[in-house]
Order: sequence, then C-alpha cells, then structure tokens
Amino acid sequence: MAELDELIHQPLRLKIMAALHAEHGEPLEFSRLKAITLATDGNLGSHLTTLEKAGYVEIAKDFVGKKPRTRVAMTPAGRQAFRRHVDYLREVVEGVSGD
Amino acid sequence: MGISRTEAASALTDIERTAGRSRELRGYQIAGPILMVWGVVWAIGYSAMGLLPVERWGLVWLPLDVVGLTATVLLSRRPRTNGQAGKTGMGWRIGVGSMAVAAFFVGTYTVFQPTTIEPAIVYPGLVTGLVYTMVGVAFMPRFLWIGAAVFVASLVGHFLFQPWLAFWMAAVGGGGLILAGLWLRRA
Repeated sequence: MAELDELIHQPLRLKIMAALHAEHGEPLEFSRLKAITLATDGNLGSHLTTLEKAGYVEIAKDFVGKKPRTRVAMTPAGRQAFRRHVDYLREVVEGVSGD
Repeated sequence: MGISRTEAASALTDIERTAGRSRELRGYQIAGPILMVWGVVWAIGYSAMGLLPVERWGLVWLPLDVVGLTATVLLSRRPRTNGQAGKTGMGWRIGVGSMAVAAFFVGTYTVFQPTTIEPAIVYPGLVTGLVYTMVGVAFMPRFLWIGAAVFVASLVGHFLFQPWLAFWMAAVGGGGLILAGLWLRRA
C-alpha cells in the first residue's frame, strides 16, 4: 500500500531519488547529481549518507586515472520505496488519502 | 502523519522537474561528442572544398558524411555500465533524423540546382542552424544558441567573406561545432 516516506520526502532527498530513478538503475556521478539537484557539495554529501544508511542508495568510490570518482546508484529497496512514495503523493493529489 | 494536497502536488512537480533536468543533462552529454565529430567533419570537408575542384567535392563529402552518420549512431548509444553492453538508447531516432536531413539536402539541391557555388557551400550551414534551433526549442535549450550561431555565421560568411567562404565555413562552422560540443559536454 502507498505510504508517506518521511525520509524521502525531504526536498533535496526527493530530488536525489527522482534523479537516480530517472537513470533506470545506472549510477550517476556525484558532480552530475550535484548539477541536477543544484545542491552544494556538503549538503548533497550529507543527504546521500542519510539515504545510504537507509539502504536506498549505494555509493561507490574509485579512481579514473588519478582522479577520484564518486558514483551513486539507487538500490532495489530505494526504487521500491520511491515508487511507494510517489504512489502516495498521487493518491493525496487525487483525494484518495491524506489530510 | 499525512501531507496536504498542495504539498503533494508540489512534491510531484519537483520530481517531474528533476527527472526532466536529468534527461536534459544526459542529452547534452550524449550530444556533445556528436557535435564535436561533425565539427571535425565540417572542418575537413569545407577545407577540401576550398582546395579541390568542384567535381571532386562529392568524393570528399560522401565518406565524411558516412563517417559522421555512423559516429552519430554509435555515440547516441548509452554508455556501457557494469560490464553490460551499451543500450541502443536514442541512436536509431537520431540516425533516422540525420538521414531525413541528408535526404532533405539532396532533394532541395536537386530541385533548386544552384547555378553558383556559394549558395551550395552556405546552404548546409543554414539548414543545420534551423535544425539545431528547432531541437533547442523542443528539447534542449542550449541548441537554440548553437543553431542561431551556425545560422548567423553562415550568413555572415556568405555576405562578408564570400571569396573565402569554404575556409570560413571550415574554421567558423567546424570550429564552432567543436566548441559547442565541448560546451554541451560540460553541462
């Protein structure tokens, strides 16, 4: 059943999840995620950590040549939670549930 | 705890806007290298037009166009991820679109048959400018600027630099497309 996910509902985390969901399972580089969400490095990093702790995203760090690279991907649990949250939002808009 | 209908609608709008921005930036990253390839094609093709007699132009442009179209289709494929093969993505759409533009060139040249070489040199620049402008209006705003620049540069070359028109198109058109590709890639 659709339900509000308070962890995802925070504005920046909602944008992060929407951006990752649009990639259909492919990872996004940190710099691209930053450009999409228009967030600062620190803010984005802190919300990604929250999402990672919840098991909604996976963060992989590696090197391309000598340059460090951070990539973020949505986990199956994150995809499921995001879809449930979007379903909930739609239900509220359509007047099925909510206050 | 629940949320209001207004808040839910606003969140859905945010999601749609973010997904749209994600698609737009991905489009720029794919389009950048394609534009750079066409920049090189233009630079070589137009330089050859400035150096070779008219009857050899076709021999130069035919392989260059084949290389450009093949590169366009290949670069339009999504990059490989986690060892999986690249996906077709927008490749076939862009390939068919490019072939339609090429067919339009051939059709209009055949019908109008320019009597002097300058219109034949500048015409691809004008059509390319139009196509990019339309892509910019419909999908990716940065193409609006690129299309307008290509269109205006072609006209400027035609009216102000006609004796060196082919070299103008090679340097300004080809070089401009390479720079535009870099600009898109950094989006």
